[in-house]
Amino acid sequence: MVTELSEATFQKFIDDNQLALIDCWAPWCGPCRRMAPILEQVAKAMEGKAGVAKMNTDDNPDLSMKLGINAIPALLIYKNGVPQPPLIGLRAKEEIISHLNALL
Amino acid sequence: MKGFDVAVIGSGPSGIQAAIHSSRKKASTVLLGKPSGSAMSGTHVENYFGIPGKADGDGLLRTGIAQAVSFGAVHIPESVTSLSVTPEGFRAVLEGGGEVTARAVILATGVSRVKLGIPGEKEFFGKGVSYCAVCDCSFYKGLKVAVIGGEAEAASSAEMMTRYASEVFWVSDDIRAADYAVGKAEAAGVRIIRLKPVSIGGGERVDSLNLSDGSSLRVDGVFIELGARSAAELAMDVDLMPEVDDTIAVDGSCATTVPGVFACGDITGRPWQVARAVGQGAQAGLSAADYAKGTAQ
Repeated sequence: MVTELSEATFQKFIDDNQLALIDCWAPWCGPCRRMAPILEQVAKAMEGKAGVAKMNTDDNPDLSMKLGINAIPALLIYKNGVPQPPLIGLRAKEEIISHLNALL
Repeated sequence: MKGFDVAVIGSGPSGIQAAIHSSRKKASTVLLGKPSGSAMSGTHVENYFGIPGKADGDGLLRTGIAQAVSFGAVHIPESVTSLSVTPEGFRAVLEGGGEVTARAVILATGVSRVKLGIPGEKEFFGKGVSYCAVCDCSFYKGLKVAVIGGEAEAASSAEMMTRYASEVFWVSDDIRAADYAVGKAEAAGVRIIRLKPVSIGGGERVDSLNLSDGSSLRVDGVFIELGARSAAELAMDVDLMPEVDDTIAVDGSCATTVPGVFACGDITGRPWQVARAVGQGAQAGLSAADYAKGTAQ
């Protein structure tokens, strides 16, 4: 299941998941729309191993700025609360899963 | 606005062949796009059945378009900037400001080159370099940006960016977008720089774009928008989801999952060969004509 995050729930999600993947997206972004079903598949494949969530940058502009996001879709990754290099742009399911598994 | 049975988007070998077969099947057909945008333009062909030696690619494209026109197709050498669904079929907006409607659409845009290949492009991707102005425009409010590319997509992206950025430079030494699109961008306040970009500079993130005359633009973002609007983006305009590699899935009749939308040529996958593109073009032209005329089996 992909959790929808806001500024209020963002940090708790990172704290609650040893490995967290957060897709920063916006409704008008074509590649973001294409990422949505991929993210669902990643969430299913990584169930029990990583938390998968998404955050609408349009609804959370302050947090987006604070996170330094300037290109979407942006897949932010946190391991034990520590930010890892993000994956920017549309990615294949296999690539994302492989990337996450390497961090386990 | 002109109405047709079939609109073919893309004037390369696949699109031209689709227009030939569609028009020969007595479907009113419009062929959209500039042949100069085809991968065949500026090259030669030597592995196509019946053509000995090296055939000039531009010559083949010219001959093919003339053939399509001789069978009744109308050729409009303009890129399509957007596509939408209408009650009767589809509407395509052209870079020159005009529109055409059609009962069926064939996507035959080919595979567009996305990467520019200059120093700094890869290093600053996601740190000020973007390939999607529509996606990332809102992150550049009040900042300075450069848009790189010579075609309609760069023109419309630059014009759109003026609603967000404090200053927008449109950089290209080869502007081929229609006068209408260029004028629209200029009227919105875009500064056109007719030079070649040579490298992107910065530290943590982009801070400059270096140009072929040795000058440098101080910018916070660089948007790379090469070529015409891609098939993947046009597909999404009509709720057709492309594959993750930007290809469009089709069945044996070149139909997509959206009724009335067909695709052929390189955008449906490899191998990127003229022979495959032409064969699929013929199939797509026949299928679209059948669909448009209500005779699809």
